[in-house]
Amino acid sequence: MTQAAATATAASKIYGSGDSEVRALDGVTIAFEKGKFTAIMGPSGSGKSTLMHCVAGLDSLTSGSVAIGDTQLETLSDKELTTLRREQVGFIFQAFNLIPTLNALENIMLPLSLGGQEGDMQWINTVIDTIGLRDRLEHRPSELSGGQQQRVAVARALASKPSVIFADEPTGNLDSKTGGEVLGFMRRAVSDLGQTIVMVTHDANAASYSDRIVFLKDGKIAGEMTEPNPEKVLDYLKHLGE
Amino acid sequence: MFSLSLKMSLARKGRLILTSLAIILGTGFLSGTFIFSDTLSRTFDRLFTDVFRDVDAYVRSTNFIEVPFGGEQRAGTPIEALDSVLAVPGVKDATGDIQAFARIIGKDGTPLGSDNGPPTFGGIASASVAGLWNIEDGRLPNGPSEMVMDRSSAEKGDFVVGDTVRVNAQSGSREFTLVGIANYGDISSPGGATFALFDQQTASEFLLKPGFVDAFLIQGDGTMTQEELATAVNAALNPTLKLETLTGAQIAEETKDQIGAVVGFLSTFLTIFSLIALGIGCFVIYNVFSITTAQRLRENALMRAIGASRKQVTTTVIVEALIIGVLGSILGFVVGIGLSRGLSALLAAFGVDIPTSGLAIRGPRIATTIIVGTLVTLFSAVFPALRAGRVPPLAAMRDTAFERIGSRKFRFVIGAVIAVIGVAAHVAAAAGVNDWLLGVGVVCVFAAVIIYGPLIAKPVALMLGAPLARRSVTGAMARQNAARNPRRTAGTVAPVLIGVALVTAFSAFAASVRSEIRSVIGDQFGGDYAISAPQNGFGGLPIALSDEVAALPEVQQATGLGFGTVELDGEGRFVTVINPATASGLVDLNMVQGDQSKLSANGVVVSNNRATTEGWNLGDTLEMKFVDGTVKDLVIEGTFIPNGFFGSYVINREAFAGTTNSLFDSIIYVVMKDGVSEEDARAALGAVSEQRGLGTLQSREEFIDAQADQINQILGLIYGLLALSIVIAVVGIVITLLLSVFERRREIGLLRAVGMTRSQVRFTVVGESVITSMFGAVVGVVLGIGEGLALIGTLADDGIAAFSLPLGSTIVILILAFIIGVIAAVYPARRATRVDIMQAISTT
Ligand SMILES: Nc1ncnc2c1ncn2[C@@H]1O[C@H](COP(=O)(O)OP(=O)(O)OP(=O)(O)O)[C@@H](O)[C@H]1O
Ligand SMILES: [Mg+2]
Repeated sequence: MTQAAATATAASKIYGSGDSEVRALDGVTIAFEKGKFTAIMGPSGSGKSTLMHCVAGLDSLTSGSVAIGDTQLETLSDKELTTLRREQVGFIFQAFNLIPTLNALENIMLPLSLGGQEGDMQWINTVIDTIGLRDRLEHRPSELSGGQQQRVAVARALASKPSVIFADEPTGNLDSKTGGEVLGFMRRAVSDLGQTIVMVTHDANAASYSDRIVFLKDGKIAGEMTEPNPEKVLDYLKHLGE
Repeated sequence: MFSLSLKMSLARKGRLILTSLAIILGTGFLSGTFIFSDTLSRTFDRLFTDVFRDVDAYVRSTNFIEVPFGGEQRAGTPIEALDSVLAVPGVKDATGDIQAFARIIGKDGTPLGSDNGPPTFGGIASASVAGLWNIEDGRLPNGPSEMVMDRSSAEKGDFVVGDTVRVNAQSGSREFTLVGIANYGDISSPGGATFALFDQQTASEFLLKPGFVDAFLIQGDGTMTQEELATAVNAALNPTLKLETLTGAQIAEETKDQIGAVVGFLSTFLTIFSLIALGIGCFVIYNVFSITTAQRLRENALMRAIGASRKQVTTTVIVEALIIGVLGSILGFVVGIGLSRGLSALLAAFGVDIPTSGLAIRGPRIATTIIVGTLVTLFSAVFPALRAGRVPPLAAMRDTAFERIGSRKFRFVIGAVIAVIGVAAHVAAAAGVNDWLLGVGVVCVFAAVIIYGPLIAKPVALMLGAPLARRSVTGAMARQNAARNPRRTAGTVAPVLIGVALVTAFSAFAASVRSEIRSVIGDQFGGDYAISAPQNGFGGLPIALSDEVAALPEVQQATGLGFGTVELDGEGRFVTVINPATASGLVDLNMVQGDQSKLSANGVVVSNNRATTEGWNLGDTLEMKFVDGTVKDLVIEGTFIPNGFFGSYVINREAFAGTTNSLFDSIIYVVMKDGVSEEDARAALGAVSEQRGLGTLQSREEFIDAQADQINQILGLIYGLLALSIVIAVVGIVITLLLSVFERRREIGLLRAVGMTRSQVRFTVVGESVITSMFGAVVGVVLGIGEGLALIGTLADDGIAAFSLPLGSTIVILILAFIIGVIAAVYPARRATRVDIMQAISTT
């Protein structure tokens, strides 16, 4: 097994208490390998987003531990977590990914600018060329299509060469063609540029762009699959639903 | 629909409170003004009712002169007439009454009461029940070396019966033995004034003119009504003495009216500032409603989509405004109670010490406050409410708050038209067509700037934010945020802008007046030292003092300068009174024709302008009537160019000789002999002036500074009153920022997720706030300087010639605006840093 970019060990997350207690995560142990594209699937409410947020340092666990690279997140202060997110983690959300007052390029450079860094311009140029939006860099998000916005979000996530990129249903709001383009770029970011991506998705097609799929159910890992294709995934999901 | 709207607005308590804040402060100031002036009038009403309780009739001279700016000066009443009054059947008792200038000198040599404080009176204490004073300790004064003083002065000066007390008055400075301590009516001293009281004859010769009092207070024996008594007394008076008799009720009423006029002036002045504050509150309310309706666009669109009519959507906003207006005004009244105390304190700090006993809270005032507050709120909410109704149902499908700037072209044209009218009015006012055009001009220019606000907001915010943006990406975001909703920014900036413009205009005006005073006095005053009397209040330096100073061995030359009230050419006027024999070199009148040193006792020097407009020539005569009724024909012996200090008429102090009019010097200018050291000069001059409680001794520089700085007192008061407007403007910034932070919480969450630290979040909010406040300050300063220029241009013919830029105040204003921006951002920034990342990114 290659080295892990991010790991969760016996991770549990409980919302509320007593009768209204919800175990969003229930003792999840998992490692996301470096240089791989991992998908997380599972029924609605199974804890996918919760897992992702906790591993990414956006939310904290009730018990268990998570690490990005060698860094354990539990001991970090808010400031250290923020710095870690800025430098080691990339994010792509389903929607509202971009700051409306900044243009595409500024959005891409945002995590670097926040850290007061120049960034690796050669790398950033490669990323921009890969997503194919060089002629749109001066445009504001409101002047870009949904697909273009998501591509800018991918570029932003890649810009700081993070240890791992988390994407929560990045194509959830896109039609299948545009979604396919965005997923294609994510795939190339892993295969050609050596990045690590963890993506939550409901879509079997989207999941089949990944190297490995982890299935969650009721806050627990229900199984996994490597070298997925859409049919295999749909089959498995049907079987998981029973 | 009404109850639904009610429910909807009550569900948003936070916003309700925020919006109310502006109206609470605005109505608070208004009701504070109401309560304050009501309390004041009531206090004086009670006081005078009390004081004249035992006075059934009142005799005074019919000779008086209306003083410019209201009020009157009346001639004295001869004591000889008192016997004929006492002889009238039905008169039980009568006594003379005097209220003149007298200053009690404390045990340490400093006078009681400050130069700017309440007046210092001298008067009569007599056994008559009609007298105003009740002896508490000791006994009544009797003879030329005894006096009584009011209780609060005795306490302040630590005097007890038996002490020797020095008192200064018109006729000079004398020592008396304190034989008693008295109360005025039932209180220790009205309004913090000080009183030195003597027997009738002593008071007459020491305080006024031998043989005269101000009036007679008469008590009847109860056999006649006040009217019958007054008629009887009047019939007994020698008609050649030119006296009249009023009933006790009439004089009490007249006195109340006089005080009422002063209170009325004060309350008008305060009301103007509270209306300014309310107007500024309007902008804040308007802005809040604009923002919240924009933010609720989707909600409103949804209501439209599911079948609510335009009117119903508009109604919800109006109902909310109604609730805020009523609640805010009620709270505002409560705040006003506190503010009315604050107002007393503020005025006291600037030397206007006013007695208040218990606050006067009147029903009609409460009603007025609530009605005005509610109307103002409704008025401010009308346009946002209409806009809310106009939202297309389709907008429900669209994203976040967006804002359209109506028709830019329309705005541009309207603004231009109003601006042109404003500038034209300014030009006409400066050209001397009519001074009130200045008001029209000011209002139009402000209106034009505010109409243009949304058009210029974006470029100006971007420009002001440029230095921040160059710093860091957070600076760039602050700049973009300030520029992203031009209408919102303009609405937030407007109150700041108005407040700053007013402050700047007043500063510019004051700076010009100050430098004018400086150069005028510098030009005309050639002496080494000046002894000056307090400027406000009455009284001054005894006329004999200048001669006494001139006779000192150290002194080369000394001359007194005073101001008198006479009726000249049919109108009550202030005239400057000089002593031409000693004035040359010390008081330079800037003569055009004639020679000031040759001004005779029956001569007058008039301003060149007046002479030209009236067609007067040298040798023409002007009729001058003194307060005591003496009429003299004065010959025009010269013309001069006045400069704001000397007024338009100058006469010789000898003109007053042989009349019973009081005359004081305001200032004595002194030149020392060569070789007299500063130490010796101060010692010699101080001994006859300051150490006797007479005036203030100042060197040339000190004197010029002090004269120039007098304007600062008024300026300070104006700043104090404008401060509330500024507070409301700051509240406006806070509210806008809070609403913006709320609106952008998802964005902030996203930024936090991708690595923005809390302090960077704080920085963007502070940056936006500072850009906004600096926007208001910079435009306000420019506008204020422009208006200051216009004001001085318009008043130029009134003696203020040169405009001077208030550079110091401008810099202070800009620095303050920066600090205010930072302070306004504190709470919104904290809210921004507390945005929950998870909540922000998971809300869809
Ligand atoms: N803030 C919260 N408070 C209480 N319960 C929560 C909270 N957030 C999530 N949950 C609960 O935790 C469980 C897991 O939620 P999570 O969002 O991780 O699911 P998910 O797998 O991402 O679902 P979906 O596919 O619908 O996005 C759900 O039962 C949800 O109701
Ligand atoms: Mg989810």
